[in-house]
Amino acid sequence: MFGFVGTLIRVNLTEGTIKKEALNLNDARAYIGARGLGTKIMMDEVDPKVDPFSPDNKLIFMTGPLTGTFASSAGRYEVIAKAPLTGTIGASNSGGHFGPELKFAGYDGIIFEGKSKKPVYLWINDDHVELRNAGHLWGKSVFDTTDQLMEETSEDARIACIGPAGEKMVLFATVMNDKHRAAGRSGLGAVMGSKNLKAVAVRGTKSIQVADPDAFLEKCIDARRKLKEHPVTSAGLPTYGTEILVNILNQSGALPTRNWRDGGYFEDADETGGESLTDKFLVRNKGCFGCSIGCGRITRVPEGKFKGFGEGPEYEAGWSYGADCGVKDLAAICKANYICNELGLDPITMGSTIACAMEMSEKGILSEEEVGRKLRFGDADAIVELTKMTGLREGFGDKLAEGSYRMASGYGYPELSMSVKKQEMPAYDGRGVQGMALEYATSNRGGCHVRGYLTSPEILGVPEKLDPLVTTDKASWLKLFQDLTAVVDSAGLCLFTTFGIGLPEISSMLRTALGLDCTDEEILQKGERIWNLERLFNLEAGFTKADDTLPPRLLNEPLASGPAKGKVVELDVMLKEYYQVRGWDSEGVPEEGKLKELSIK
Amino acid sequence: MVTRSKVGKILMLSPEKCIGCRTCELICSFNKIKAFNPKSSRVSVISYDEAAISIPIMCMQCEEPSCMKVCPTSAIRKTEDGSVAIDEKKCIGCKLCVSACPLGNITFSATEKKIIKCDLCEGEPKCAEFCPSGAIEFKDAVPSTISRKKVIAEKFKDLFGEVSE
Amino acid sequence: MKIKFFAYIRDYTGSKEIEYNRCATVQELLDELCIKYGIKFRKLIFTDDHQLSDEIIILVNGRSIVHLNFLNTPLKQDDEISIFPVVAGG
Repeated sequence: MFGFVGTLIRVNLTEGTIKKEALNLNDARAYIGARGLGTKIMMDEVDPKVDPFSPDNKLIFMTGPLTGTFASSAGRYEVIAKAPLTGTIGASNSGGHFGPELKFAGYDGIIFEGKSKKPVYLWINDDHVELRNAGHLWGKSVFDTTDQLMEETSEDARIACIGPAGEKMVLFATVMNDKHRAAGRSGLGAVMGSKNLKAVAVRGTKSIQVADPDAFLEKCIDARRKLKEHPVTSAGLPTYGTEILVNILNQSGALPTRNWRDGGYFEDADETGGESLTDKFLVRNKGCFGCSIGCGRITRVPEGKFKGFGEGPEYEAGWSYGADCGVKDLAAICKANYICNELGLDPITMGSTIACAMEMSEKGILSEEEVGRKLRFGDADAIVELTKMTGLREGFGDKLAEGSYRMASGYGYPELSMSVKKQEMPAYDGRGVQGMALEYATSNRGGCHVRGYLTSPEILGVPEKLDPLVTTDKASWLKLFQDLTAVVDSAGLCLFTTFGIGLPEISSMLRTALGLDCTDEEILQKGERIWNLERLFNLEAGFTKADDTLPPRLLNEPLASGPAKGKVVELDVMLKEYYQVRGWDSEGVPEEGKLKELSIK
Repeated sequence: MVTRSKVGKILMLSPEKCIGCRTCELICSFNKIKAFNPKSSRVSVISYDEAAISIPIMCMQCEEPSCMKVCPTSAIRKTEDGSVAIDEKKCIGCKLCVSACPLGNITFSATEKKIIKCDLCEGEPKCAEFCPSGAIEFKDAVPSTISRKKVIAEKFKDLFGEVSE
Repeated sequence: MKIKFFAYIRDYTGSKEIEYNRCATVQELLDELCIKYGIKFRKLIFTDDHQLSDEIIILVNGRSIVHLNFLNTPLKQDDEISIFPVVAGG
């Protein structure tokens, strides 16, 4: 077996049974692995209409064929389930060391079914796999759970777990691994919590083989050399982390400010950016398994009321708690982010939901009594306190735990939620970056930037320089980015490699690892197949064209200043073109011909 | 001649630069067994979460190797280029060397069924070649680097001392 | 006009922001900045054959000069010019 290691673990939590089964190689070839293969299993085994918290929903951990190999930045695994926040297919990937360790233990993935009566965790020690009682871990933070599990399993073990937020089914709870890494979006940690599954601990001592070792090594070295030569992956990311984006988005007038109400410019952005983080709190940078980039931040706030230690914040968290909440205190932003990691929360949705509550309070929709404080934009204490309360579902935190869409709708103001398909959009104002707006509207997991990151060509000029204010050709560029990203995620690579390498390098690594005889285009088509399968899942779950939209603020309220002054998102024109380039009908349903071409039906 | 020019080079570690990515483990195992398996790697990265530091550890190619002294079949010897090498033909797999190494840098591999340790990849250590952050370098052993290496080796000893108790 | 510097460009300029008065175009401004900050700065901004480096992003009032008149983009007294190295994240 090459690239893959050939075995899946199937755990029925209701029955407490564990089975090992052979990886279906036909599916693995057609859907690459990780995100693609997990989605294929969901489609085959789960009714897309299932309640995400029903025992009938499944929770899948899946690695890719390059995970754990020398391929550049191939430390990733994917968590797949129907997502509680969005109701779409949910797929979130994470780095660190957990994914590779699962493969070293001899497994490409794990499928969890049913629901355990009592809290349990899964312990995988090479061939030995068992469910163990996790009663003593329930209620514990991500950090304490990880430490405790390493003590009671093996000091070599790698841990993926949920925190209190997952246990309490906060709709945007994460699955955390290696303490600080998150399969972050859409609430997959809540699905884990609903199954009473606290953690997976794994230790492995086996090998991963590739089909053509010498050729594979050569391709990996080529990819690593290109990453070392590209200024983004060799200098920008290692030196400053992802937070370096704050200033360039802000200067471009596309950093959403105060719940996207005050346009795309935050006057105090520099205090919250990567330069400030590096100056003030960075201890050192950190890489995930096999990564030559090392964008991770180990940070310490040495003193004051926000004193703390941990990892991050990343750009998205720096924005959601910073510009989006109007907060300029970087120490508070760090602290809120540490709490997200500790309790297992997605900081994009958390910060955005607090920002939404801030606007509702300023508008008088939320009262001081209800929230427990006089909530205003710029309140640094609030972002820390409300994050904690949400993770534990205490007080008003119980309402925030439903995400901004459900919270705002509860008061009759869904339009104040800056979300798509009920998931909060990240840190790029689509009015100033038109292609990103189309990505938000069409992403298969709702408001999300990492399915087709057009910010890269539109703002950063990588790999091409596209004008962010025009709509021309954005649909076809987005299709290309979405399909390629599906390949990258499914292979087990980090998306950040695509700043320095592209389809040719990625295809070469896949071909030599797996012993495939296929063209770059055929590999890209696998990405398109994955994208269409995800779309079919969502359509069967009940989504329609009407859901491929954006908050009214982006469609109707022109930006008041900056380079995109007077702009709204021109979604209609881009969406129509997008359906066409995708080979979908005017309702956004894949045409029979397209599905045949992709061998889906 | 090629080997000659490499005489005197040593692996120099700068833990403060290590990002904990374990690329060294991957490439080391691949170079030895043509597959990816950190457990077959002759270098291990030990990470300390609270101290925010990761330390790559491999054989220090000691001047007076304990492993060599204890070996009953004289299978371990100090080579011309300064590395400590195992003669696989003489090795009987008794593992006394594993117990003798104060740094834990010589082990028995269950996968390969033999004693394994860093052999400097015959003068071209892959870990140093592919370390993305410069934490592992292969450099001339000028006096300053040797003294530095010794300081670090002492620190490892201290760390291991704490861990093993 | 206001010139803002970001990321490691600040290491070359020693400041985050300066005020400037002359300069009719971006080209003129960059030439002056190269004189002001010296050879290292120049090597960062321009290639050996005097082209703008691929690794530099220049915004005038938030718009990349790539989508304006590139180095010939005219400058006005109340313009804000931002100079970035190419960076990314997400």
